[in-house]
Amino acid sequence: MTTAAQSLDHIRSARFRAEREAGWKRLDALVLLAEDKGLHRLGYDEAQELASLYRQAMNALSVARAISMDRALLSYLDALCARAYLVVYAPQESLRGLFSRLITHGIPQAVRRSGPALLIGFVAMLLGIWLGAALYDLDKSWFYTFVPGGLADGRTPEASVDYLRSTLFDGGPGSHDELGSFATFLFSHNTQVAILTFALGIFLTLPSFVLTFYNGLILGAFWKMFAEKGLGYELTGWLSIHGVTEMAAICIACAGGAQLGLAVLLPGQVSRREALRQRGRDAVKLMILAGFMLISAAILEGFFRQTVQSTEARLVIGWGIGLAWVLWLTLSGREAQA
Amino acid sequence: MKAHTATNLPAWEAKGLLRHTPPESVPLTFRLSSLGARFGAQTLDILITYGGVLTLIIALSWLQIFSWTGLVTFYALITFFMRIPYYILSELVWNGRTLGKRILGVRVISLDGRRLTPHQIVARNLMKEVEVFLPVATLFGAAEMTWWLALILLSWMGGTLLVPVFSKLNQRLGDMIAGTVVVDTPKPQLLPDLSTQSAARGYEFRAEHLGIYGRYELQTLEAILRDPPKNPEMRQRISEVAQTIRRRIGYDEEVQASREWDFLLEFYRQQREFLESRTLFGDTRENKFHTIAAKPPGR
Repeated sequence: MTTAAQSLDHIRSARFRAEREAGWKRLDALVLLAEDKGLHRLGYDEAQELASLYRQAMNALSVARAISMDRALLSYLDALCARAYLVVYAPQESLRGLFSRLITHGIPQAVRRSGPALLIGFVAMLLGIWLGAALYDLDKSWFYTFVPGGLADGRTPEASVDYLRSTLFDGGPGSHDELGSFATFLFSHNTQVAILTFALGIFLTLPSFVLTFYNGLILGAFWKMFAEKGLGYELTGWLSIHGVTEMAAICIACAGGAQLGLAVLLPGQVSRREALRQRGRDAVKLMILAGFMLISAAILEGFFRQTVQSTEARLVIGWGIGLAWVLWLTLSGREAQA
Repeated sequence: MKAHTATNLPAWEAKGLLRHTPPESVPLTFRLSSLGARFGAQTLDILITYGGVLTLIIALSWLQIFSWTGLVTFYALITFFMRIPYYILSELVWNGRTLGKRILGVRVISLDGRRLTPHQIVARNLMKEVEVFLPVATLFGAAEMTWWLALILLSWMGGTLLVPVFSKLNQRLGDMIAGTVVVDTPKPQLLPDLSTQSAARGYEFRAEHLGIYGRYELQTLEAILRDPPKNPEMRQRISEVAQTIRRRIGYDEEVQASREWDFLLEFYRQQREFLESRTLFGDTRENKFHTIAAKPPGR
């Protein structure tokens, strides 16, 4: 018997398969190649062939489901099409393009859209600072309630003015190491706080608000303690150089959390799940912004706080960078008015 | 009863499967990853990232480039980059696969049938901080906690761990926010068409022989025929199948033991041809109860 006669002898679905098998095998090879080396490494012809073979295979799957009862064929085609689908519909953006679009458009626009949430974040922080300072004024023991022992590191209301001053201005080489490790601790501590603040926002905004408020309390009590000893101006400089960026980052992370919480609390005309999905886009961008700001704050803290010793320079650098953030976020990514 | 899912699979076979409709509108079938595979992938990722960081730190301290505090600073910095950014970047570059997921053959896909967007990847991995890392970190600090705080943390951990167990698509919270789901990477494997295998012909099945069974029995027979008998025990089982089919369809000729395999192959071919042509005429026979299903009582 010849091959032609044999294939005529086959039942309909077997002939259907025999006619198309070569194309599927080729698609399989192309998919493997693309998965191995990346889609962008395929040549023009190969990419075109992949797209057309993918559509043919999808078509064949649709037909096979209607006419064939060959389970091996159905599961093969299903898996092949699924695999090819994952290659054909892979993200096409390059990392660099993604990043630059995020910087120039995504983040500034998201910030400008989330006014109420940002208000919640900054109000939480400012309320915390105010209450922390006011309570410290009433009773110094509040300091121990607010500030964890590890963070205070000997800077308590009982400490002498000279000691407190020495923590602000770098004295001997020994204190640099201690402050260096304190800086890293604060950095990782604040990163954790920022991420927590964001992620817990989904529980109706409240945890975010409380965490930010609590951070404000620590700051307020801390500031009041130094101010009482006549070091308020110096401390402001010491904190400003990185703190303007860092505290703003925590407020912004809180705002991101608040976006999630507000979506659950006040979904408006859409369902809660849908509101969460919509607001989630801005919330995530706010969190990325907070991440950038935290990294810059860590760099400022690690490299500039100890080298820049004059309070005036510290104030100028800190608030100057703060102004730069504000300028970027308000001015960048504005579409031309039609 | 809805006997059929849109994947062309009957409901009793569709457990753990996800119907996914790409822009071409032909539903594809993905198998949801088992929770074990996902837990394994997460563990592998943690081992890879922290293992990498530790080796780097050890290598650096051995080379003595940094002072001790320099090392601590470096460690804090690098763990920051190793946590969330590692997952986001690897899932972006490898289309929903981290190294651990690649090793265990699972991946993230978007539920809406479109490509994974960067936003989805970032969202699901940010939530990972609350769901995975924080509970693990607090676990290490659990010794110094008061009992009620420990209780709250424990119930929170239990709660987030149980979410994927009870969720219909095994989604964790981050998956729900991002609209993603974790599936097994499909592995296409083409087995030969049984209907083209040469068997000794000479069995004539008439319409009344072929009208008994439906698609389900045909595909069960296919599964049996994929595995040729290698020992007497398996041959015994094949013989049982062949004799049962012969009795059930009322095939009047005796089938000798030596020809039972050929009998089954030939029956498979003719049964499939028959059922496929019935389907073309709009008479889909799902299983052997098709005669009952066609005329439901009381209608």
